[in-house]
Amino acid sequence: MIITLVRIELLKIFKKWRTYIGFIAISILVPVIHTAMYYEGQKSLDFMTRDLQQSFVFVGNLLNGYFISYIILNALTIHIPFLITLVAGDLLAGEATAGTYRILLTRPVSRFQVVSSKFLAGFIYTNLLVLWLALMSLGLGLLIFGFGELIVIRSETIIILDAGDVLWRFMLAYGFATLGMSVVCSLAFLFSSLVENAIGPIISTMAEIIIFIIISALNIEVFKSIQPYLFVNYILNWREFFNDPLDFTRIVESTSILLAHLLLFFGTAVYIFKKKDILT
Amino acid sequence: MNKVFLILLILNAFNYVTPQSHNPDEILKRVTETFNMIQDYEVDVLINVNVKFLKMPDRQAKIFYKQPDKIFVESEGFALLPKQGLNFSPLTFLKTAHTALFDRMETLNGINTTVIKVIPSGNNSDIILSTLWIDESRNLIMKIESSTKPDGSIIIEFQYSKIDDTFYLPSTMIFTFDVDKVSFPAGITGDMNSESKKKDEKDDIAKHGKVTITYSNYKVNQGLSDELFKKETVD
Repeated sequence: MIITLVRIELLKIFKKWRTYIGFIAISILVPVIHTAMYYEGQKSLDFMTRDLQQSFVFVGNLLNGYFISYIILNALTIHIPFLITLVAGDLLAGEATAGTYRILLTRPVSRFQVVSSKFLAGFIYTNLLVLWLALMSLGLGLLIFGFGELIVIRSETIIILDAGDVLWRFMLAYGFATLGMSVVCSLAFLFSSLVENAIGPIISTMAEIIIFIIISALNIEVFKSIQPYLFVNYILNWREFFNDPLDFTRIVESTSILLAHLLLFFGTAVYIFKKKDILT
Repeated sequence: MNKVFLILLILNAFNYVTPQSHNPDEILKRVTETFNMIQDYEVDVLINVNVKFLKMPDRQAKIFYKQPDKIFVESEGFALLPKQGLNFSPLTFLKTAHTALFDRMETLNGINTTVIKVIPSGNNSDIILSTLWIDESRNLIMKIESSTKPDGSIIIEFQYSKIDDTFYLPSTMIFTFDVDKVSFPAGITGDMNSESKKKDEKDDIAKHGKVTITYSNYKVNQGLSDELFKKETVD
């Protein structure tokens, strides 16, 4: 039964044009970045490694598909949440706006099944969006720029990973990014369960993420005590998969925190929806 | 009193005579002549970079060298090589005007070496002062310590193996050098997590690096073509 419900929800999602905004945005943006990197990438790389080049001679090429994909993943994981909220914020509130709640709930399915199928459909959409990003950035990147070592420049370290040691890290990083984006999806879903207009959840989720990102980025003592409790602080920890050696403690901690947030947001949405007085 | 004066005179004379027996220019000339027997070589190298802020796996590459200063590095993947000393040749010391001074005798790793200081004349050279430990029995440089204007000091330690029962060429070179205070543009990489917060505390720590290059499979005087070095010259 739940599979049928999920299928119906996916059909509803993909019938709305707004669903394709994210895919279109990635389809335009990633090739634009590829084109820019094709012409200017070496300059950027030289700028990033200018200090290192004072002491070392570089032999070989670091401008490859892995490097471009890393840059894209870095840049887009902050912005993809906005694309996800467009769909996730509409999952429940959209039914209220359209006045289809009552019709939907007169079907012989429980409220839990309805809310779960909607969430799973949103979760699948999120996965597909990150998968599309992976295909566009990594697939296209490797096709254009080829394979090679990945240089990861951190605030105080430079890590150069062997070409054969990178792909599995990307797979795990995309997996982790999917988890992070699913938390965003569940937050928008929670807001969506509270209101009867889709605009509210979309804007609320965006606003919360922006505020959390700003608080996470500011190096102010008061904010430092809050930062560990902000889920956005952990969304970017897919970068941990590009550390050498891997910091398993941090990876497990981040994964657990994000999973806990996901379950908390979804659980609260289920509770609210089950108690909700359906008037439309 | 006269005897004491005589002893002091003899000792003083020895003090002057000893350095003259180690004529630094002659020693450097012999080292250069020994090195000049090698017209070209190609060699497989294993590069190990040990710098605190840099993590990378050991890399393999092939180095091609041709007199007087042509060098070409071929690597399947990405490799880092120390900028200073990569194309090391004793000729570089004698190419520009310099003053060489005998300093002392010293035993280095069980080998008796003559320590010579080389001071470049004029202001054109980046090197301020170089100290060379030379094994006079084989006319080989065992260690170099150079102070340079832009990059601080660099120490290169050599171990040699005999190739084709004729030539002594490095089997290992260990480069120890100052790495400038490195700052990375975190904005580009997007890093904004706790790592960047640690940066301020460690910003002023001078960074030192060590690169070990292990050489194997030398092919000496094979008559390498000049065309090879037109592909890419690392200097």
